[in-house]
Amino acid sequence: MNILVFTKRVAATQEEELRITGEGQAVDLSKVPFKVNDWDNYSVEEAVRIVDKSGGSVTAISIGDAESDEVLRRAIAMGAKDGFLVETGDILNDPFTRGELIRSFIDKEKVPFDIILTGVQSEDDQFGAVGGVLAGLMGLPYASMVIGIDAVEKDHVIIRRELEGGLQEKVKVATPCVLSIQSGINEPRYVSIMGIRKASKVERKVFKADGYEKGSPKIELVKWVYPEKKGGATMLDGELADVCGQLLGILKEKGVYQ
Amino acid sequence: MSYTLIVAEVRRGVFEERNLDSLGLGTLLGGEAVLLVPDGAYEAADKLVDAVVKIKAPEEVYLNPMNMGKILEAVFAARGKPDHILFTQSSSGMEAAAYAGLFGMPVITDVSGYDSQAGVFLKSYYSDKVFGQFKAAGAPAILTVRSGSFREFAAEKAAAAAAEAMEGAPSVEARTFVEYVEEEKADIDITKAEFLLSVGRGIGNQDEVAGYEELAGALKAVLSGSRPVIDKLWLPKARQVGTSGKTVKPKVYLAMGISGAFQHIAGMKDSDCIIAVNKDPGAPIFQYAHYGIIGDIHKVRDKLKELAKG
Repeated sequence: MNILVFTKRVAATQEEELRITGEGQAVDLSKVPFKVNDWDNYSVEEAVRIVDKSGGSVTAISIGDAESDEVLRRAIAMGAKDGFLVETGDILNDPFTRGELIRSFIDKEKVPFDIILTGVQSEDDQFGAVGGVLAGLMGLPYASMVIGIDAVEKDHVIIRRELEGGLQEKVKVATPCVLSIQSGINEPRYVSIMGIRKASKVERKVFKADGYEKGSPKIELVKWVYPEKKGGATMLDGELADVCGQLLGILKEKGVYQ
Repeated sequence: MSYTLIVAEVRRGVFEERNLDSLGLGTLLGGEAVLLVPDGAYEAADKLVDAVVKIKAPEEVYLNPMNMGKILEAVFAARGKPDHILFTQSSSGMEAAAYAGLFGMPVITDVSGYDSQAGVFLKSYYSDKVFGQFKAAGAPAILTVRSGSFREFAAEKAAAAAAEAMEGAPSVEARTFVEYVEEEKADIDITKAEFLLSVGRGIGNQDEVAGYEELAGALKAVLSGSRPVIDKLWLPKARQVGTSGKTVKPKVYLAMGISGAFQHIAGMKDSDCIIAVNKDPGAPIFQYAHYGIIGDIHKVRDKLKELAKG
């Protein structure tokens, strides 16, 4: 099995305050650290596990600026054989544009594959749409929310999709196909700094995105806005002991703690 | 004639409640609202739309995106293309982007707001810290609709919906449903707890879990968690609060280190009293909580333990 797995370098904004600049033109990420997209970490791990069991090789691909080489080195340290960077300085907010660029790249460079893995979504834009768009454009079978790959056969895979409320559905998908991987599907291996340093010695190929089609955008970002403030919480202020005392008081008042 | 096509989400005979959000957005968009459902005994909110198209296909065939592509083609052939095609933001709607690729249509996911004057849709970025206002550059646009965002706009029509039946597409081989897999029976049912102590990504690492178990013990609360904690196997799956886990309504929901992704909020927002502790003042959970504490959750944990013992 030849597996292509997409990995993206994203802003780690969990504990960062984000500032919108100008009249809503941009979100200032200049002071925000970057990391590998969580979902892609699970996808790379899953790809490596499949070839460990069934043979073949994993190619990690990233669409982004030169800094994205970082997530390719990481994927190689986890077991990917090759790392391809499709280099672009553009943000590509439209998942259709991203899907079209990937389709064009795979087509033009004749990259062989049996299975394409993407994360269900990326942490930054949370579109969760590139895998689906790509499958639609390529005319390939698609499944998202993949929380288990139970069997990889010559012409199909048996997967489980995560539904709501703890329910899963088992589905048979013909290969070649596109699968979007849900977080929690596996336990991604630990990647050491030594491992990444070693992976740096494996050559990563860089392709300029300008050489491929990406069509015209189908959606337009008009501007950025802050979330609408809802009621909001009553904030408990003061010294730690005081705040915790107030909290216990609320628990008593609600009758769940004596 | 312009219309909005609303693709209903059904699962195991149930017309999912979050379809109401698609119906509400359908009302805001104006024009004719056409609801697509599989033919069956679904409570299909017929009064909230102008027309219902019942697809003669079993639920599993209807829910399969490889078949739905063909069904949509048949609808386009019969009625022309709509201006918007609405899906729920769900495990099913997460596959709707495939139709954007298939038909060359714009797609905007997780839509939680609509400004009819400007014609822009609101979409979350960075876990609700900011939102993008998006415009579709062509029609029809495929939209997936966030649960809880539009249901209050769903309005009854003057006349009952016109119903019509349409042949379902023959089932494709490329992807086939095998079976449902139920969750394993758990030692505890968190939906029955009156007091939940719920922990999230903010606890940092697995070694910290024990301290929260102790706190839950001291407060006589049941310990639950958000997705990142379950994904890392720090707590069992049966303890997950959120759309892919359990929906809970305890008397008190004490959330520590949970930022509040909407999938989590959907699973706990109806709790009587929500208390959130987080070091990030911008965490979306503070918008839904009744009480909030900004601070180091480990310090709050240790102080609470100390006070609870004393």
